[in-house]
Amino acid sequence: MKKNFLRSMSIGLALVVLASGCSSDSDEATGETGGDGDGQVELRMTWWGSQSRHDQTQEIIKKFEEENPDIKINSEFTGFDGYFEKMAAQAAGNNLPDIMQQNFGEYLNQYADKNLLADLTEFVEDGTINVEGVSDTIMDSGVKNEQMLGIPTGTNALTAFYNVDMLEQAGVEAPDENWTWEEYIDIAKTVHEETGKYGTRLMEPNNLFEYYLREKGHKLFNEDGTALGYEDDQLLEDYFTMNKELVDAEVAPGYDTIAQIKGVEDELIVHGDAPFDFRWSNQATALDSASDQNLEMTLLPGSNNTEGMYLKPAMLWSISENSEHKEEAARFIDFFTNSIEVYEISGSDRGVPIKEEIREEMSAELSETDQKVFDYIELVTENSSAIDSNFPGQSSEILATLQEIDELVMYGEMTPADGAADFRAKAEAILAR
Amino acid sequence: MVRKRSEQFSEPGSEVASKPKPVNQIKSLMPNKKRKSDNHNFTGYMFISPFLIGFFLLTLYPILYSLYLSFTDYDLMSSPNWIGLDNYRRMFTGDATFWKSMEVTTMYAGVAVPIRLVFALLVALALNKIVEAAGWYRTLLYLPSVVGGSIAVSIMWRQLFGNDGAVNSFLAMLGLPTHSWLGDPATAIWTLIVLYGWQFGSSMLIFLAGLRNIPKTYYEASSVDGAGPIKQFFIITLPLLTPVILFNTIMQVIQGFMAFTPSFVVTNGGPVNSTLLYVLYMYQRAFEYFDMGYASAMAWFMLIIIAILTGVIFKSSQYWVHYESDSK
Repeated sequence: MKKNFLRSMSIGLALVVLASGCSSDSDEATGETGGDGDGQVELRMTWWGSQSRHDQTQEIIKKFEEENPDIKINSEFTGFDGYFEKMAAQAAGNNLPDIMQQNFGEYLNQYADKNLLADLTEFVEDGTINVEGVSDTIMDSGVKNEQMLGIPTGTNALTAFYNVDMLEQAGVEAPDENWTWEEYIDIAKTVHEETGKYGTRLMEPNNLFEYYLREKGHKLFNEDGTALGYEDDQLLEDYFTMNKELVDAEVAPGYDTIAQIKGVEDELIVHGDAPFDFRWSNQATALDSASDQNLEMTLLPGSNNTEGMYLKPAMLWSISENSEHKEEAARFIDFFTNSIEVYEISGSDRGVPIKEEIREEMSAELSETDQKVFDYIELVTENSSAIDSNFPGQSSEILATLQEIDELVMYGEMTPADGAADFRAKAEAILAR
Repeated sequence: MVRKRSEQFSEPGSEVASKPKPVNQIKSLMPNKKRKSDNHNFTGYMFISPFLIGFFLLTLYPILYSLYLSFTDYDLMSSPNWIGLDNYRRMFTGDATFWKSMEVTTMYAGVAVPIRLVFALLVALALNKIVEAAGWYRTLLYLPSVVGGSIAVSIMWRQLFGNDGAVNSFLAMLGLPTHSWLGDPATAIWTLIVLYGWQFGSSMLIFLAGLRNIPKTYYEASSVDGAGPIKQFFIITLPLLTPVILFNTIMQVIQGFMAFTPSFVVTNGGPVNSTLLYVLYMYQRAFEYFDMGYASAMAWFMLIIIAILTGVIFKSSQYWVHYESDSK
């Protein structure tokens, strides 16, 4: 009796422990496999962004759930740092979210090559996702390997943000879209001399070196993404030298200051500590809401900047191939693309809407910031060239290498010439793997 | 023996019961004996099965699988292809960042571990003297170690040593020059070392237990012979504490080489990779560059390094660790 009792108790205990271990797992799992009792479908959705985006997106989800009571969306969100690491781990576990905020360029290409994303063509064709009237160039940015893998959330472009008051205070004229690199450097130096603050923010190499190359008539990668797209290392050397001289003259902050910035809210321009900041136009909302400075936007500098500038999908909405509720996920993307409420809540935070009807409907009651962004995107549309989409799968590592070398050069541990040569050697080694 | 006893035992019952029964019982007891021990084992295994299943599925299997992965080009998303020793070759010959992270980690562990041990020992010695409210002090001093590995403390550290952080404000208040602690490649690693040293609690508790185990009579006898407290420390306390020091050293060296959170949160490896600890670089390879095969190879290399270090410390212990039982 006692033996039997012990035995059954031990089995029971083991089962209980195992079951409780499993059940907490399956709680999480319901998010993707779905299903509350009453036939409600649960979707998982992930995005990266700032605090204002997190709040707005949750409000959008609430709206969507009100209109679609049969769908419940569980959200997971972080800052950009760490987002793709998290997604990589989920991809490895075949556990990607149903709806995923995806990034154009190296990320989309990587996910495309691994067949992790669902082809949305059928949903677009049967009208589940209504993108009628959206220009082909915009829709094409979500196409890779002849599959439609993402619907752009909105249009975006690189922007030179500038602080009107700071420039005025320093007695310099605000730049217009025809400004050159020399003018940029002169203004930065003057502001530094006049105000004692920084004259600009240190340029972030991953997007801006690519722009710099385009402006000089080159590309970061060649046509098929098998090698660097420029021959002469002088280009990168000049880029490094330009920034290094600004850092040495304390016109731009070095990485010791940059490394302390942990989000848009901490940026120098937000606190009136530097008049310039080159970043994506959709961040205007985040910058403006964090700052009481008077910020304006114009094209990046360079006499040839219409070659350098390009329109980019701010982000893409993708559906994972492992999703069991692709149609419901597609309905959310449709809602996001076609509902004026979405943009009433979030403005141009995910880029300028891709549908013309929405843009027109919005233009009546745009906030001041959004009006600036809309005007700016219009300006870029007229003054830009096609985006490059030839990013190889290894580009995230190559760009990280560029970042690392940029830090070494700015810290003075490497000369600009050595840095440029080193980048080529490392990039080629990575591409050759 | 057993049979005899069971025969004896069955006798009183047999008077009442029918005759063949005891015989039956004896017979059935014999094979039963064997099954009984099986049953005992079975019950035991069932009781520890949650651990066993967890160990085999969640520990042993991933460990062996990562060994396999280290010979592949696994990128997290597509299925792994066998590439032999390529990852190891690339690691040793073609990856300057790998060696940089090795250097940073060796420096970090090499400096931070002794600092933590010395600090832990000093605090333990002080605590050993305190009689009143010793529990309170112990708890208070142990607290950093409880919260120390957490993200929150790392974030706090980032604030403390930030350009506008508490440390700089304090220096400015005293009229001393401030410094960009986290931004300067020369000082960033030291903020992490200080963080590591500050979490001395667990070593301290072990030292304290070791100190309490030293018989008071030794001290009494030595003071009769005229030894002062410093002499006592070196001739009594330290030798008798060496087994505990050995244990602490090994545990801390392993922990030091496996440190991840501080560099991940406080500095993210920067500036210019001056705080790129080995495990952080491994994480970057695995999840930022989708280079899981290579990261697995790195993990196995680290295992070998730690095994060698532990082996060396163990081997060296015969020259400096003093066991009381040996000396008698």
